[in-house]
Amino acid sequence: MRPFAYAQATSAADAVAVAGRDPSAAFLAGGTELLNLMRDGLAAPGLVVDVNAVPAKGISFGEEVIRIGALARMAEVAREPRVRDRLPVLSQALLAGASAQVRNAASVGGNLMQRTRCWYFRDAAMPCNTRVPGSGCPAIGGENRWHAILGGSDACIKVHPSDLAVALTALDATVVTHDRRIPITEFYRLPGSTPHVETALRPGELIVAVEIPAAGAGFRSGYRKVRDRASFEFALVSVAVSLDLDGGTVRQARIALGGVAPRPWRALAAENAVRGRRLTPDVLRAAGEAAVEGAAPREHNAFKVELVRRTVADVLERVGGGR
Amino acid sequence: MTPPPGRVDGPDKVTGAARYAADQRVPGLTHAVLVQSTIARGRITRIDTAAAEAAPGVLAVCTHENMPRFAHRPTSWLPPHAQSTVPLQEPDIWYGGQHVAVVVADTLERAHEAARLVRVDYDAETPTIGLRENLGRAYTPPDGTPGALQLVRGDPEAGLAAADARIEAEYTTAVNHHNPIEPSATLAVWEGENLTLYESTQSITYTREVVAEMLGVPAERVRVVTPFLGGGFGSKGFVWPHTYIVAAVARQLRRPVRLVLTRAQMSTSCGHRPASVQRLRAGATRDGRLTGLTHHIISHSATRDLIHFNPVASTQAVYTCPGLRVSTQVVEVDMGTTMATRPPSGPANEALEMALDELSWELGMDPVALRLANYAASEPGATNPETRFLRECYELGAERFGWPRSRPEPGSMREGETLVGWGMAGSYHRWHGMRAQAAVEIGTDGRAIVRSGTQDIGTGTYTIMTEIAAEALGMRPASVRPRLGDTRYPPGPTSSGSTTAATVGVAVREAGRAAREKVTALAVADPRSPLYGAAAGEVGAADDRLFLTARPRRGETYRQIMERHGAPVHASGSADLGTPAPSGAGSYGAAFAEVRVSAVTGEVRVSRMVSALDVGRVLNAATARSQAIGGMIWGIGMALTEHTLVDRRLGRIVTANLAGYLVPVEADVPDLDVIFVDRPDPHANALGARGMGEVAGTGTAAAIANAVYHATGHRVRHLPITPDLVLAAGEAAATE
Repeated sequence: MRPFAYAQATSAADAVAVAGRDPSAAFLAGGTELLNLMRDGLAAPGLVVDVNAVPAKGISFGEEVIRIGALARMAEVAREPRVRDRLPVLSQALLAGASAQVRNAASVGGNLMQRTRCWYFRDAAMPCNTRVPGSGCPAIGGENRWHAILGGSDACIKVHPSDLAVALTALDATVVTHDRRIPITEFYRLPGSTPHVETALRPGELIVAVEIPAAGAGFRSGYRKVRDRASFEFALVSVAVSLDLDGGTVRQARIALGGVAPRPWRALAAENAVRGRRLTPDVLRAAGEAAVEGAAPREHNAFKVELVRRTVADVLERVGGGR
Repeated sequence: MTPPPGRVDGPDKVTGAARYAADQRVPGLTHAVLVQSTIARGRITRIDTAAAEAAPGVLAVCTHENMPRFAHRPTSWLPPHAQSTVPLQEPDIWYGGQHVAVVVADTLERAHEAARLVRVDYDAETPTIGLRENLGRAYTPPDGTPGALQLVRGDPEAGLAAADARIEAEYTTAVNHHNPIEPSATLAVWEGENLTLYESTQSITYTREVVAEMLGVPAERVRVVTPFLGGGFGSKGFVWPHTYIVAAVARQLRRPVRLVLTRAQMSTSCGHRPASVQRLRAGATRDGRLTGLTHHIISHSATRDLIHFNPVASTQAVYTCPGLRVSTQVVEVDMGTTMATRPPSGPANEALEMALDELSWELGMDPVALRLANYAASEPGATNPETRFLRECYELGAERFGWPRSRPEPGSMREGETLVGWGMAGSYHRWHGMRAQAAVEIGTDGRAIVRSGTQDIGTGTYTIMTEIAAEALGMRPASVRPRLGDTRYPPGPTSSGSTTAATVGVAVREAGRAAREKVTALAVADPRSPLYGAAAGEVGAADDRLFLTARPRRGETYRQIMERHGAPVHASGSADLGTPAPSGAGSYGAAFAEVRVSAVTGEVRVSRMVSALDVGRVLNAATARSQAIGGMIWGIGMALTEHTLVDRRLGRIVTANLAGYLVPVEADVPDLDVIFVDRPDPHANALGARGMGEVAGTGTAAAIANAVYHATGHRVRHLPITPDLVLAAGEAAATE
């Protein structure tokens, strides 16, 4: 680990001002991600700005929006009774992530800023276009069982690891920074030819909250995560669904996929396939099919195509009340 | 035998008082970090250490260009050397992760930073990686290759031709890593010409032998200390180069040097289980008697260290079959040396037990009945006597599990999206008896110290030594203090291959009995003793007291005798159970599993598991159960989650951390039910106890795989059975 300077900030403005002094500065909240990256030589900030004293905690339920402070811990949000009751997809996604110990320490803002678990990215000795632009992507012709089937490019087929971000995509959330608001669907960037640019954040920009439209609390929602191990493991495929139902008919649907793309993947075609319809077996099947429209599987991850079809249909059916 | 209230080392471990190799406090300690090759085959063309040497706190940067020559060069794989390649001696690279430099600094952080600054240029060659990708290169290794076996018994082809029912199938297993919770660690302290090495090893004896040989010093000048071990599972069984490298660097620097391998370095520095491709054919009569069985297994091996580290044991040892062939082949790959991995014979056993399950369905026969139809009371063809209680394992296990008289059709037990299935399989491990010595000292306070130069790798050796010595002496366990993990003690065996308890236990008992006889002799010869004049044979011992067996009230305590004697009493004991082990020295079992498979996602969860084991006499119920459930969890990992993936072009392990290599977590493990037959095996040793560490790790993976078939109706013939394979098996069946 390289030497670095450490500073504590007590307000968002303070944090941004301090971080502005060093273009390589990184914000530290729970530390469950940043410290691992630093130890493994994958991040080397010259300045670490501890933001834990910034007043960006807690959850508030307003008339228009539900606001979750960026420093709220994963466990705290997951166990909040109103979240469990009104936003089950959010609580379920949080509890499907990491381990109890990590959830007690990790913050909501930090969760959104997780780097990919692509094993080529995570090994500093390997080429990786995200880590070292232009060095190549060995995942494309290599061990890509985990990698993207949607949204990848010739430069990068990483997968975004956050469960929370998938749920927030299904809830139409907005990421609030110290000076602006970014819809979650615009927050993450697809790799294209610049895989090292992963989010819309500017250097030194601090996430202070996440806001969810209060209307979402009236919808039915759910999350399912498919994985190789029963706990403490990232998704092979995950599906978050939020349904605005009129009797048995879908008025509006938001469907987001995890484990399949470099960002939480909003499955617009699947949403279109169920909008205005009853969730009959044919419609469920069509939604699953639509969710993988444009999928480009690689040597070892073609199974994800079928897994998405099945899981989308299953979660829609469960949330829609079919089972 | 009165067991002690718990593990004697338990309080130290849970309070943190137990100091492992890397926890030792040594003044002037320095820190080593290894730099490893990023290519899998080729040559170093240039190594630039200038920036590393100039970094703050750096004391030494050693490479092949400046490292002193070691005193010895192994020419082929020969234990206790774990590998023949000696790093830091020449520019050639034979595998990914080969050590190319070692950096020593005053703090660990500075050593890591300096290690990052070492620049290495390579002339890289295309590596050969992957077993299945290179099956065309498979060949039969020369006779004498470790782990290789070419065996024919009777006429297998005629047997298969005469069978009423037969199956033929190919099974594959993944590369696995040991991943003990404590990474390998070495701390070398020189005092003049004498070296003390605090080492995370399964064998202090082997470590001393190899380090002395490589450094060219007499073994008497090397002391190896391993007070505690956080697991090894084979990765610390023989001696890897990092150990003697650290000892050599510390000698050169004249400073204590500590090295702890990183988790990623554990993937390339201390071996792995090779992948396997196994082809089995089995034929039987209508009533289930095997007529022919062939088992061909191909495993990868490091190019430079030719070994077949997926040994076949069950196929020739457990069942009767008039026509049998076992054959082994290897494919050489550019990876580090393969190594025994708990349990070494697991992959071969699991494939055999999956094949027998397929045969049972083919025959329409209960799988327990099929195994009983081929029951062998002892290993076919073996000459040494054996006592098996395997029949009891089938019976006890089936009863506890509630094994049905007839199995519901595959794929027929469904609860919502969940498919339920049951499977069973046989467990077998050939354990190794070794040589051991032990010493007992009874002090003037009447308490005993028992010493043996063995290790407690987490299995309970401290506890078992205490318990056996206490019984032999007639003392309370609290009056016996165990000492181990130091080459100053009488030499003990390696803690590998299920050897320790059964071997060390015999030596400890002999030493304890000899010490008791000496104290008895003191008492009966002493006019001040109430036992004066008695014949030694009339004196019994219990609860820290010697007494006349016929008149138990007449006697006195060890303490009274020893206080009068005024000097400690010493006695020793030894065991020689023969090495190599005689064939047929096995432990046995039967594993039963229930799985729940999602028909939507293909995810498999184990919901119940029973393991019934015959390990001879159980020395300590608590530590034996702990060993057994540990083995069963290894079986869950082998069956469902654990596989090492290697990039074929780069030759690098991509799952080189615990986020990529998935060991089971609590949520993967149901309540585990262990039953021991617990009957002494008079042919095993004087204790009637056999090796037991490995056997519980066999059979469980096959039982799970067989249950997955029963749940889904589709056979997955690869371990681990990940969700994609379950879905693919279903799709393959649907398109047929």
